[in-house]
Amino acid sequence: MRAPAPGSWVDAIIAAGAVPAAYVPDASSGRSDIEEFTGAELVEGAELRTHALGDVRPAAFRTASFLDGIERWRVVSYAGVTPIVRAHVAAAVRVRGPDRRPRAVHEESRELAITRLEALTPAVREALTGSGVRVVEFAAEEAGQPARAIQAARSEVERARTALEQVLGERRAAELGPGEWLVVDGVLSDSAALSEHRRTLGVIKSHGAQFFKGPELERALTLPAGHRTSVFRPRRRGARREIYSWYLRLWPWEGNDLLYGMLRVEARADADTVTQASALSAWLVRERAPVSTPDPRWDRLLYSIHDVETYLKSRAPRDLIAPPASRLPRTGS
Amino acid sequence: MIQQRDPEPIGRVVATELKPATPHQFHFWTAQETTIGIGAIVRVEDAAGSGGRGAGRVVYGVVTDGFAYSDLATPLHDVVGAEGDPVRAAESPTVRQEIRLWTAAVLRQIPEEPLQPVPLGQVHVATDADVAQALRMDTYLSGPHPTGIPIGLYTSGGREAPVFLDADFLLGPEAAHLNISGVSGLATKTSAVEFLLASIFQHFPPHKGRIAAVCFNVKGPDLCFLDRPGTLDDEDRRRYERLGIAPRPFERVRYYAPFKADGVNLNTLRTHPDLVADVEALVWGLQEVLDFAEVLLNRDDIDAKADAFIDFLADRVLNREFDDGFGGTHRVATFADLDRLFRAIFDGLELAGRSDMWRTHHIATIRKIRNRLANISTRCKGLVTDDGPSNDLPWGRFEDRTVYVVDVANVDPLGQDLVFARVVSKLREHLERRDLGVDAVVVFVDELNKYAPADGPETYVKKMLLDISERGRYLGLVLFGAEQFRSQLHRRVVGNAGTTVFGRMDADELATPGYQVLSPATKIKLATLPVGELMTRHPHFTQPIFVRFPRPAVLRGRDGVEQFPPAADLPFEDAVVRQLVKLDARIRPNQVKDLIADRTPEDVRRALARTRQARPEEPFAYFRRLLGMRVAPAAAPVREAVSPLNPISEEPY
Repeated sequence: MRAPAPGSWVDAIIAAGAVPAAYVPDASSGRSDIEEFTGAELVEGAELRTHALGDVRPAAFRTASFLDGIERWRVVSYAGVTPIVRAHVAAAVRVRGPDRRPRAVHEESRELAITRLEALTPAVREALTGSGVRVVEFAAEEAGQPARAIQAARSEVERARTALEQVLGERRAAELGPGEWLVVDGVLSDSAALSEHRRTLGVIKSHGAQFFKGPELERALTLPAGHRTSVFRPRRRGARREIYSWYLRLWPWEGNDLLYGMLRVEARADADTVTQASALSAWLVRERAPVSTPDPRWDRLLYSIHDVETYLKSRAPRDLIAPPASRLPRTGS
Repeated sequence: MIQQRDPEPIGRVVATELKPATPHQFHFWTAQETTIGIGAIVRVEDAAGSGGRGAGRVVYGVVTDGFAYSDLATPLHDVVGAEGDPVRAAESPTVRQEIRLWTAAVLRQIPEEPLQPVPLGQVHVATDADVAQALRMDTYLSGPHPTGIPIGLYTSGGREAPVFLDADFLLGPEAAHLNISGVSGLATKTSAVEFLLASIFQHFPPHKGRIAAVCFNVKGPDLCFLDRPGTLDDEDRRRYERLGIAPRPFERVRYYAPFKADGVNLNTLRTHPDLVADVEALVWGLQEVLDFAEVLLNRDDIDAKADAFIDFLADRVLNREFDDGFGGTHRVATFADLDRLFRAIFDGLELAGRSDMWRTHHIATIRKIRNRLANISTRCKGLVTDDGPSNDLPWGRFEDRTVYVVDVANVDPLGQDLVFARVVSKLREHLERRDLGVDAVVVFVDELNKYAPADGPETYVKKMLLDISERGRYLGLVLFGAEQFRSQLHRRVVGNAGTTVFGRMDADELATPGYQVLSPATKIKLATLPVGELMTRHPHFTQPIFVRFPRPAVLRGRDGVEQFPPAADLPFEDAVVRQLVKLDARIRPNQVKDLIADRTPEDVRRALARTRQARPEEPFAYFRRLLGMRVAPAAAPVREAVSPLNPISEEPY
């Protein structure tokens, strides 16, 4: 079946009896992170050390590709108390060549309807399934409580976005030639292809997962600007692959917060990674400029990642953005 | 040839609440590397029209402003990113996202009704056909009687398209007159007018009849070599071809210049032996001057008494047997005759000792008029002859596609005013009677602000220029004026110029109120215009358009003087010989010198003038016969007076 025009299926289900809604969850524009201690093993030296990058020659790449994805979603209607969510997920890879200007080489987006079909009235269900939109169902046990259903929908959106990022990342990684690198916004270890590739880097801005305790944690989180930690191997969690990682401080944290300007970098679990860690880190430090303001995460958000995000946002459906006005009751509806 | 190829889109119209698209203006973005610039003409197509031309609304616009900005939140963030080092700022691994945003003013919408905001469609660079549509040239380039006059090439946006003016609006009767302004030396005002005159002569529509031009050369050798080919390069020739104009000098040029004070050497820079034969002497007597005596009077002089006395001289004295009231009879035809009359009056009053009045005119008034008239014959000696015959432009015998250059560059300013007033008034008089020989005349006046200043006294010349500006288009009398500062020109002369052209402008001039309608970017472009590029306003163009024109195919004045250096002033005898030889090449110099050796210069000048005027079969014999007797002053022909100008009306243009 041919894909419907974005958002057109919403009219169909409302015509079939679903009650229109306009709720954009607060967390829709951000991402959740797992907050837990996982532990790590050092692979560079016997103890976690800090390495100054001031005198290190940055790695030089012919081209660098940057991968990021976005997700937008909102509750567009209710069938009874079961929310029907309209979601848009998109990902893109933009390549920066010698002219220093990024250009999109891969881009994909998907529109999803997220709900529990069996909780809908027959008419609404028929309208939804007949509309041609891709329907993703959350678990039956989540459908009874609207708050849980929305959380379940959020997870489905994030999963869809991550999957899309992974598809594009693996596609781009397969194309990379010598001297060409791929930088992914987020972890590499979800993908076998990415985590095993010689020239991919994962850049993680959120630090819910912690790998150290005590003095090592203090050393890691008080890392001076322009320094990195020793390379370590995070303990494996679930389906995640083996990976090497290190912390890198882009901007001085003093006067701000422990995590200010802090990145965690992921690369292939290989001895070469340890050898290249300083050069790669020095290259990432260079990527501080231009700063990605006015994004509030500018201290950790590389401009080229920000550029991909801006690109995707500019192409996302405008009606999924939260309306600036207050949520006064809609008249005539 | 008109290009028809439809180019790829180069931009897209964007509209926000703060920068909306309106029926008169829109904004669009382009790639950073673009051929678009200030003055480029673009075509916007409504999305509905994407399937084919004409399916939806089409809007033509001209770019009036440009903006570039990046996603940088504040300048401080750039400093932070570069850690205060400008070198590092330039080395950042990624170039910030930037935008090239352009503002365009609407030139035309199709359909024109209902007039709506510009659609948010794709933007294309205009083709030749688009330029013709955008500037409404399609209305006068086609049909049974096309009236297009090429003025130059539109060259913005990486394209090149001929731009035409409408002869009905450049040369009348719908509108008329052209004004060109710009800084000296860089605005190429004279070159532009030379090129445009050539264009007019080659493209003047046949159904509009015959046309000529009268050009006043007021400085240096600017217009002295219009019949000589100038230097053109391949680019110039290509542009001529593109405009459909043959790159050749003017085929028929008649030069007129007064004599120097000696009465035999011409007062012009076109005195090289190879060229001087083409220069006619411009000599006027009392009658020609008295018609325009008002020109000679300054503001303080103008009063009813002076006017009355001048009228009295013209009506009752000139060319009539006249009794001075003291027993003398006079027939006044020359300045010398008039002076004899004045002297007789003063002597008569003094001897009679009866009063200060003569025929109701006070002696002070008579003395003032005598002083002013004597003044012109002294200051403009060479132009004004005391008692010789006059030699004038060929009134009634003007030829089609001919340029008449009146060289007054070295004439006293008072004399320049007189020449200007008389020539233009005679043109008007003959055009009114339809007996000039041509149907339209372009009068080119450089330094127009000198003759029609925005402020200053209401002089005869100014009144005359206002009259031409406001009524000349009905007569076929078209004024092409040039000046450095348009703001210093009388507003009614400015307002009545149907076509306005700007070369490179002075920044101070651009700051005056007359340029408020231009965007800052357009002003900057005007202040930095390269030689050979002009901004043009024409009744059919709703916005100013930039055009390039090729160098005129005539010898520039400066080059002409180098190629044909002016001859040194000849001794009296040699100058007389040269003028007679010009009439008959068989005349031997010694023959002439022997003949005039024992004659007074005045007699020789008079005889020479009469010979020049008569152009007999045997000039030398005629000249010798005249010298054998006292050469009587030339009798003035019976003439019709020039009708007075209408008083200056207060109606706004």
